[in-house]
Amino acid sequence: MNRFFLHRMLALAASAALGGCAASVAPTGVLQQAEQHYQAAHADADVQRLAPKDIARAEDSLQRARRLAGYWGSGDDALHYAYLSERYTEIARQHTSLALNQERLAKLDLDRQRLQLALRESQLASVRQQDQWVEDQIMSLTTTDADRGVVLTLGDVLFDSGDAELQPSANRTLLKLVQYLQANPARVIRIEGYTDNTGEQAFNLDLSKDRAQAVADMLVDLGIDEKRIDVHGYGDQYPVEANASERGRALNRRVEIVFSDRLGTLGPARD
Amino acid sequence: MRLHPLYLLLGAVALAGCATAPAPLEQMRLSDQAVDQARAIGATEDTAEFKLAVDKMAQARANVADQAYKQARLNAEQAELDARLAEAKVLTQKSQDQLTLANTRIDRLRKQLQEAK
Repeated sequence: MNRFFLHRMLALAASAALGGCAASVAPTGVLQQAEQHYQAAHADADVQRLAPKDIARAEDSLQRARRLAGYWGSGDDALHYAYLSERYTEIARQHTSLALNQERLAKLDLDRQRLQLALRESQLASVRQQDQWVEDQIMSLTTTDADRGVVLTLGDVLFDSGDAELQPSANRTLLKLVQYLQANPARVIRIEGYTDNTGEQAFNLDLSKDRAQAVADMLVDLGIDEKRIDVHGYGDQYPVEANASERGRALNRRVEIVFSDRLGTLGPARD
Repeated sequence: MRLHPLYLLLGAVALAGCATAPAPLEQMRLSDQAVDQARAIGATEDTAEFKLAVDKMAQARANVADQAYKQARLNAEQAELDARLAEAKVLTQKSQDQLTLANTRIDRLRKQLQEAK
């Protein structure tokens, strides 16, 4: 074996050893692509703002790849770092999209809250409108008495003669009354029962109380606090018409509802 | 026979570069963690990057068994970033879905508001 040959053999062996773990040719295409992707992401203001660490790592890996590509025998390592750089660039892109989406979500959440508020207000407005309608309805049935204030008269169709049981026809008016009282929670009422002068006074007094109580019970059943309701029976006192005719007697068989003012103050009860 | 010292040096460098790298235990741990985290977030092998990460970790383990430590480190390093990318993609997709949902809700509210007026 001559010396020259030995040298050649060793040179081959050394390059084979290196070649075994690393390609010796720099993969310029791959590197260029990583470079391009990095540059594009780097130029993106959102990426700079939202994923600065990721894009810095992409740059770091790219620099290593560039450096290694310059060294003979480090081609595989250059490829490896080019791969890592590509990944960091993609991660930077994804993190940017995520952060942008979160910013949009935060904005949408504000929009949603604003819309919900507007919707609630418009619903409240429609409730207020309905309350106003009920109030108008109730008030159209009332008269204003100089001594007692606002009075709603429920006529005798509510009761059969001599009976304290409420007729079903009472429901509509009483339902409106319930709505009105619910919309005006400070107001209280006094329910006053009256009869015609048929029959004995003591019986009429009880009957008038029972009628007033029947109306009160109904209101309580429909959800009005009984503390807001005062019940009185006046028998055949305070007729609104002469008891001489059937028509007059019918008008006298009645229940009257006296409303307090807005603050809940009732006028004094009749004697 | 005398050898030129350059060949000795080259041989030593070649050996150092390939065979004597330490087992990349810390990197393997990091990469396993990244894969676990991506899986916990909801990544599956339907995500290409996640499958790559899982496969490369299997490869890295085989490399460790063969004492091919440098190759193990390269695979583990790539697997880590594959997993992190998979995780980022899943999270971005989730936020995209949330965005769609939020937009639907807002449209519905707008419509309701219009009807209420």
